[in-house]
Amino acid sequence: MTPRRRQSPSQLGGDRAGPDLSGPGPVVVMRGITKSFGEVTAVSGTDFDLRQGEIHALLGENGAGKTTLMNILYGLERPDTGVVEIGGESVRLRSAHDAIELGIGMVHQHFQLVPRLSVAENVILGAGGRRRVRLPDLTAVAADIEELGERYGLSVQGSELISDLSVGEQQRVEILRALYLGARVLILDEPTATLSPVEIDQLIEKLRNMARGGTAIVMITHHLDEVMTAADRITVLRAGVDVATVAAGETSPLDLARLMVGREVTVLGEAGEAGEAGESDEVGEAGESDEVGEVRGGTGPVGAAVLTVENLTSASQWGTSDAGFRAFNGVDLVVRAGEIVTVAGVEGNGQAELEAILCGLHHPMSGWIRLGDTDITSFTPRKLLSCGVGFIPSDRYRHGLIGGLSVAENLVYDRIDKAPYGGRFRLDPRAVVARGTELIKQFGIAVRTPTAVASTLSGGNAQKVVLARALRTDLRLLIAAQPTRGLDVGAIEMVWSQLRAQRDAGVAILLITTDLTEVIALSDRCHVIYRGRLTETPLDREAIGMAMGGAGVRAAGPAP
Amino acid sequence: MTGPTGGADVPANDADVYDAPANDAPANDADANGAGAPAIFPARDRRLQLRPLGSAAAAVTAAFGAGGILLALAGANPLQAYADMFSGTFGSRFDFSLVLVEAAPLLLIGLGLIVAFRARVWNIGAEGQLLTGALAGGAFALYAPIGTRAVMIPAACLAGAAAGGVWGWVVGFLRARWNVNEVISSLLLNYVALRGLDYAIRKPLRDPVGFQPVSQTLPEAARLPDIPGLRVHIGLLIGLGLIPIVAYSMRRTPFGFRTEMMGLNRDATEAAGVNTGRLIMGVMMISGALAGVAGVLQVMGPESRLTGNISPGFGFTAIIVALIARLRPTGVLAASVLIGALTLGGDVIQRTQQVPRVLTLVIQALFVLLLLVADKVGRARR
Repeated sequence: MTPRRRQSPSQLGGDRAGPDLSGPGPVVVMRGITKSFGEVTAVSGTDFDLRQGEIHALLGENGAGKTTLMNILYGLERPDTGVVEIGGESVRLRSAHDAIELGIGMVHQHFQLVPRLSVAENVILGAGGRRRVRLPDLTAVAADIEELGERYGLSVQGSELISDLSVGEQQRVEILRALYLGARVLILDEPTATLSPVEIDQLIEKLRNMARGGTAIVMITHHLDEVMTAADRITVLRAGVDVATVAAGETSPLDLARLMVGREVTVLGEAGEAGEAGESDEVGEAGESDEVGEVRGGTGPVGAAVLTVENLTSASQWGTSDAGFRAFNGVDLVVRAGEIVTVAGVEGNGQAELEAILCGLHHPMSGWIRLGDTDITSFTPRKLLSCGVGFIPSDRYRHGLIGGLSVAENLVYDRIDKAPYGGRFRLDPRAVVARGTELIKQFGIAVRTPTAVASTLSGGNAQKVVLARALRTDLRLLIAAQPTRGLDVGAIEMVWSQLRAQRDAGVAILLITTDLTEVIALSDRCHVIYRGRLTETPLDREAIGMAMGGAGVRAAGPAP
Repeated sequence: MTGPTGGADVPANDADVYDAPANDAPANDADANGAGAPAIFPARDRRLQLRPLGSAAAAVTAAFGAGGILLALAGANPLQAYADMFSGTFGSRFDFSLVLVEAAPLLLIGLGLIVAFRARVWNIGAEGQLLTGALAGGAFALYAPIGTRAVMIPAACLAGAAAGGVWGWVVGFLRARWNVNEVISSLLLNYVALRGLDYAIRKPLRDPVGFQPVSQTLPEAARLPDIPGLRVHIGLLIGLGLIPIVAYSMRRTPFGFRTEMMGLNRDATEAAGVNTGRLIMGVMMISGALAGVAGVLQVMGPESRLTGNISPGFGFTAIIVALIARLRPTGVLAASVLIGALTLGGDVIQRTQQVPRVLTLVIQALFVLLLLVADKVGRARR
């Protein structure tokens, strides 16, 4: 492209062919990598190395820093500190172009393909970086791709439109694009997240083939069973720290689950100090988790069933493969008054769809939802609110907060036409502000005045607003989705104690979370959702962790 | 006025404009509270206070400046042209009456557009809603056997409001039901309405003895009287009377609150139990109804019959009015008078300075462009 861009690889000691990646040493070495986003430290002093011809799994819970670490390797993020060496030479990656020039390719979780263009055209799209007046001959490109595909067993038609391809085929195109651009290091971010089990097996087989051919592969995942079948070595990240790197032959899903969730409190404490308190799980709470275990279990009696979900199946497709996955299938669930029931699971396993349906934003394809004796399956949010259902949405900025309104308005906006805030044709701003002032005090929301706009709130305070609004006086059922995601320790504690208080007051709470610590801290009963199936799981970190990774479902069985 | 496409671009950009104040509002916190703690939803009002007014004034001034350069290029003395323009519009009661006649439909339509725009529903179809209202209300006035003004005029207005409202509702329905982009559907419905009116005055409603494709003159009972002392039909009073009603509705009713909510964050509004689909249809219906009333008033007032050129693009010009008014009901009056005066002023300078009147259309377009710029600049400085 620009002369400057051109220089970068040569500065780094490589020509178009890049540095020598075939030597005996590791092809990639990352040392002491730290990366913070604002107050949150995503990766903290992490080391990582990658050898030629291996599949190296990067394992960890959501928010453990896996993707951030790989984005650094791919030049999308620059580390605050730390060194990246490729082929033995220290490099400074300024963009993905630099990484591509050095033979690194990345396939993102969400494919970066243009649906209305052909396979060959999509591959060319990624071939920027050098000035081209004319597009290369598409027929030749298509032939190259097809040949490349044959070599690696990733057959595609260069002339086909992306929109005609299944998710699995689109992924092949992504991989081929990276290979076409000369990748000898291939990073795959959650490559199995949207694939059916059959496709997953096929993918793993192809990856093994490529590794045998000398490509070094990094696979980001949190699925334990895939790690065991696919990887040669495994690096486990927790709270931004690499807690272990082990050979696949020398470990077990159980060990990995332990490493992932951090059973030993001391280790967690250290990780917490190093990683700061920004991320959701882990950290300070781990120290408390033992006491939490005792507190768990409502003090009030568990009452009648408040929420009953029967054979619920979502309408949305979960990939376009022949298997035709639903986001979730045949879910049965009961939440009684005065208990917290958890649906735990990693993202992309149907939690989000379950949340949307329970909140009335989507309609299920089949099944029933009942509130007490009332069928609420097709209720709108308005009706649900009016019969005592409260929501803490997982995406609080999208569904739970209106940044342009004041904090006071945000606290009552779902009942603005009810006394004392207003009637059919009037509003009483004073009542709104008065109630706002009251709730701000009660929930300790850090804001100078109730009339300040909500967009100025920090994450924790924003969540307090959402919580304060959800905890209406006539609350019967609370659906809390990821209620502490991204919050600091103090805010987490506050949210937890509010949830416990509501439970003790007899509210039925359905907690949807990805955070294992939270599951342990709050649940009376726990279900794990994995690939759209719900399994009741004993309240045990390991058992839940394994089940969230799918291991409990396929291998060990739910009970340890 | 501004062609359909020009109109379509403006609001899309403006979405950006109205997003912005929410973000830099914290800087204003102190002022807002220092200034005697406005009890009425200060967070919303604050961003509609001085700065938007200032940027509107700055944009208008700059547009006149740029217009001056264009006038000079066209061979006129800019200062003289502006002076002519001023005296030709505000100089006498008669001239000013003409301005108000021009401003009356803009006022009504602008008020309706504000309701839709606040919900971030970009109604570009006010022109079509006006024509539909004119057609329905005009047909009603032609054929309804009503002899008294006091009954005929309100009834015809209701007919026009209903027709315009339905025309707007269709757009809202398409958006709510199938997520059809309202910019496109409302824009295209303009042409449907235009051709529908064209057909009506050529075939069923055509004056059988006339030579032109126009309807018969309306019966006396359907002719709008003038406001005493001015040469302005009483339709202007409807617009004036609606200003406080719209202002109140937007600020002090759950409807207005929810409209604002939806404009700021539709997902959260839906999750808060508001039927946003219904709200979209509602704001489109109100928007269309007001444009429809403006249409009938044109028929019963200045035109006194159904013709093919009831509107010289009021529906599009009103978009500029709404934007200059910063979506404030109270700002619409000044904005519509300004635009009305400018339109008429174009005729004046065409006479006195021999420059094409379209220059004033360029100035109007500059208003909006510079308004957007002034907003960006104001934000960057903060």
